[in-house]
Amino acid sequence: MAATEERLRKLVDDNLEIEGRTPGTALDLDRSLSDAGVSSPDIVAFWKVVNEEFGVDISAEQFAEMLTPRDLVAHLDAA
Amino acid sequence: MHVDLTANADHEAEAVAWLDEAERGRWEGYPYSGPQRQFLLCRAALRAALCEQLGCGNDELSFETSEHGKPWARVGGVEAPISFNVSHGGRHGLIAVAPSGRLGVDVEELGDRRNLDLLMDGVLGENEHREIASKGGDDQLRSFFRLWTMKEALLKAHGKGLLVDATTFEIPPSVRDGAPRGQIELPQLPGVTLQVEDLGGEDFAAALAREVLPEAGSERAASR
Repeated sequence: MAATEERLRKLVDDNLEIEGRTPGTALDLDRSLSDAGVSSPDIVAFWKVVNEEFGVDISAEQFAEMLTPRDLVAHLDAA
Repeated sequence: MHVDLTANADHEAEAVAWLDEAERGRWEGYPYSGPQRQFLLCRAALRAALCEQLGCGNDELSFETSEHGKPWARVGGVEAPISFNVSHGGRHGLIAVAPSGRLGVDVEELGDRRNLDLLMDGVLGENEHREIASKGGDDQLRSFFRLWTMKEALLKAHGKGLLVDATTFEIPPSVRDGAPRGQIELPQLPGVTLQVEDLGGEDFAAALAREVLPEAGSERAASR
């Protein structure tokens, strides 16, 4: 879980821009990306990046239903 | 209605006064300054717009959220007879209000964008993808976000937003060719005709989608 979380945090740093967030800071695993202020285009692009990085095939609907990074980490660890 | 989301301490202080206790808690809980300001200024502007439309006081107005996260309004505890939708992107907020019917709006600030190729794969249909891929530079970016905002506005009007795969439908060819508006029936919403309209400006892309209702009297202007 910790390794997946770290890979996910790095993907966030490399791919998501959030005004006021300092890259490298810890991810709030229990706050959804949209609640954290990530724009919808960034969320869609992030979905594609996660699939490529982790070699998984999460559908758009599945990704949207995973409300928090913790849900996503659990899904990736179970894959 | 366009909302200026540029950082402005005076505007933000005025806006806080419009929020109820729950909204202040949500505002204070945002971890990052940009999204926090966007929520604050858009929610205050939405409250002002709905109070004007409904003829109610701000303290009578409250919000609930649908199963899929779309907010709706109550006045004095009773569901308000009004449709609305809100979007924000960068320095731009957009609010649409209509008496009834499905309604969706989206705005995105235009600027350098990482992962544009991935975004195109994620939301465009085959014909849309081919047309946008044939363009380059600023023209490609502007054309992509013109389609993106239309598709997201339609999905917000649908009510499930990004829970619906945006590659499963395409914006009508006439609109892709530059017509400012057109009509579409989403495969996920048979029997419901939606009108989608380009509202973009110089440095932002924006779109409004609204249900075409059978009675002409109920189709008055959806955005102010």
